[in-house]
Amino acid sequence: MTSPSHANGYRRFALGPVALLARPVAVLACLALALLVMGLAAYAVSRGSYAIALPDLARLLRAPDTGTREQLYILYDIRMPRILIAALSGAMLGLAGAAMQSITRNGLADPGLIGVKEGASVMVLAVILLFPAASVGWRPVAGMAGGLCVALLVILIARDLSRTRFVLVGIGVSWMLSSIVLIFLTTADIRDVQTALVWMTGSLHAAGWPLLSVAAIWALAGTVILFATARASDAALLGDGAATGLGVRLRRLSVLRLAAPVLMTAASVSCVGSLGFVGLMAPHMARFLMRGNQVTLLASSALVGALLVLAADTIGRLAFAPLQIPAGIVMSVMGVPFFLLLLWRRRNQL
Amino acid sequence: MSGARTQPLSLPRRRAHGRLAAGLLALALLVIMCAIHLGIGSRFIWPGTVVRAVFAYDPANFDHKVIIGLRLLRLLSGLLVGAALGMSGALLQLVTRNPLGEPHVLGLNAGAALAVVLATTLGLAGGTAFGALAARPLVAAIGAGLLFSLIITASSAGRDGLTPLKVILCGVAFSAFAASLTSALLILDEQTLADLRLWLAGDLSGLTYAGLACAAVPAAFAALGALAITPQLNALALGENVASGLGVNLRRTRFAALGAAALLCGASVSLAGPVGFVGLVAPHAVRILISRDARLLVPLSAVAGALILLGADAAARTLLAPRELATGIMTAVLGAPVFLLIVSRYFR
Repeated sequence: MTSPSHANGYRRFALGPVALLARPVAVLACLALALLVMGLAAYAVSRGSYAIALPDLARLLRAPDTGTREQLYILYDIRMPRILIAALSGAMLGLAGAAMQSITRNGLADPGLIGVKEGASVMVLAVILLFPAASVGWRPVAGMAGGLCVALLVILIARDLSRTRFVLVGIGVSWMLSSIVLIFLTTADIRDVQTALVWMTGSLHAAGWPLLSVAAIWALAGTVILFATARASDAALLGDGAATGLGVRLRRLSVLRLAAPVLMTAASVSCVGSLGFVGLMAPHMARFLMRGNQVTLLASSALVGALLVLAADTIGRLAFAPLQIPAGIVMSVMGVPFFLLLLWRRRNQL
Repeated sequence: MSGARTQPLSLPRRRAHGRLAAGLLALALLVIMCAIHLGIGSRFIWPGTVVRAVFAYDPANFDHKVIIGLRLLRLLSGLLVGAALGMSGALLQLVTRNPLGEPHVLGLNAGAALAVVLATTLGLAGGTAFGALAARPLVAAIGAGLLFSLIITASSAGRDGLTPLKVILCGVAFSAFAASLTSALLILDEQTLADLRLWLAGDLSGLTYAGLACAAVPAAFAALGALAITPQLNALALGENVASGLGVNLRRTRFAALGAAALLCGASVSLAGPVGFVGLVAPHAVRILISRDARLLVPLSAVAGALILLGADAAARTLLAPRELATGIMTAVLGAPVFLLIVSRYFR
């Protein structure tokens, strides 16, 4: 018996009462991507001003008591949180971009392009500058409030998500907000401004375990929302009429699918500063690597996003060795040619 | 309005009087704004004293000394920067036939800033101090022109040619690219960062008369060139086919207009750093209030640009009184809502 899903590469995996319909090709590709991410992470952990050889690294991870004190300090307190947070924020941005592009049906939509990043930045800066004593846990909360407000503002002004006006309004709003950021930076106390500047440029070197745990909580929430609505949004891609006929509640779906990417972008911005182009690039690269439904797209976008940010951070950290280039800068140097390629491919539609 | 569109090369007489009056009114407003701008500061000086200081300078009077010695330079630079930005915005809007054309939106500012930072880092513009000053506007203009021609080339690909959306997306992308290269250079080279940090915020400070003169010369040449091609720009507004039917050399006109826009932008960037949105607001204000005719639009955009920049600078220095905001921040706060208005009006 060959069903359409079987012909499209889907196989049924059953374990007792639980059955899952999945494509082995996509699963294997995602596993390969995950291995690549882990390999890059291992390389990134081992390199730096204090090199830890790979065999040493494996030994240290298995039995932490065998290392010297400085090895342990560098591994667990400096490099591990930084690399984990790079991968985590990259995954969040990739997921957010994938969801945003499918809900707006606009291949150029990126949460960063429509002002969410700047909205989050304004709120986080307000927290840093007005309440310097507040703990880092408040930053994602403030950032998410700001990001949500700005997303709502952009949607209210543009009134229509799939048109070009949406992107243009987003650009205008983010310019306005970045001038507000500049007002903060030029009027506040110079010491607070330095803290703010380090955070702003998308630099990861302030990463630590508390920040990582805060980011992980929000990432988990967003991921759950996105994967839970993945089937419904597959149906929504067929068009509003067909989706309603299939029993999708469109209004609730679009609210959830807009809120989750905004939350995740804002959370990643509040933790590591603004990293542009990841949300734009990751879904396109993922689609280029493997086709499939929303679940595949989300999973592979998350992995590609993690890979991109990890690579950008490692390049920025190691390329000009004693000096560090913030990952955000490396990211936009890599991202602009990609953006132009996207524009070139749709040059007849814009 | 429609009279100017159907008969671009001859003004109806009745309209001409009204427009002359409007132009004179704009100039009068500019003079008043100059007096206010000179008077504002940590020590407020009444306009009457300002006028006396300019026309009957008395070295013994402290107020006169403040105005001539300290504030006049800022005023003159503000006038030059605003006029150059307004005019280059008008040129860009006319040539790209895009209501959102503007040095900041189209990436000219980012290209100019990158070129200046690169030249400073490499020490190319070094040598003598005067050589550095004289070279800066030209370096900035070359950077602006190069990045803008890249943007135009990239965005004219495709069946429909140069659509507004493509130009803006390319402009944003290339600006981001240039800006990140600029910040990478600044992070790698601390000396340049120390030299240029204030300038990069887009502020009218750290000015010298020599720098002003060095920026004024190319700006003046560019302005003359721009005024000379305004009839051709009028014809271009009717569409490419009509324009070439009327005997306009499309390639040469575009090249001249873009070169002038790049030079004007370079002059303003070399003085005040990247200041955005003046070039967007000024031509639209002139078009709504006075005329669409390029022969009036280009020079009046310069007047309106100067007016807007001086207003923004005065606001930037007074709003948070003991502190000063950068001028570029103020123009962005004022200009970004205008950008949104234009977007919601032209893109449906």
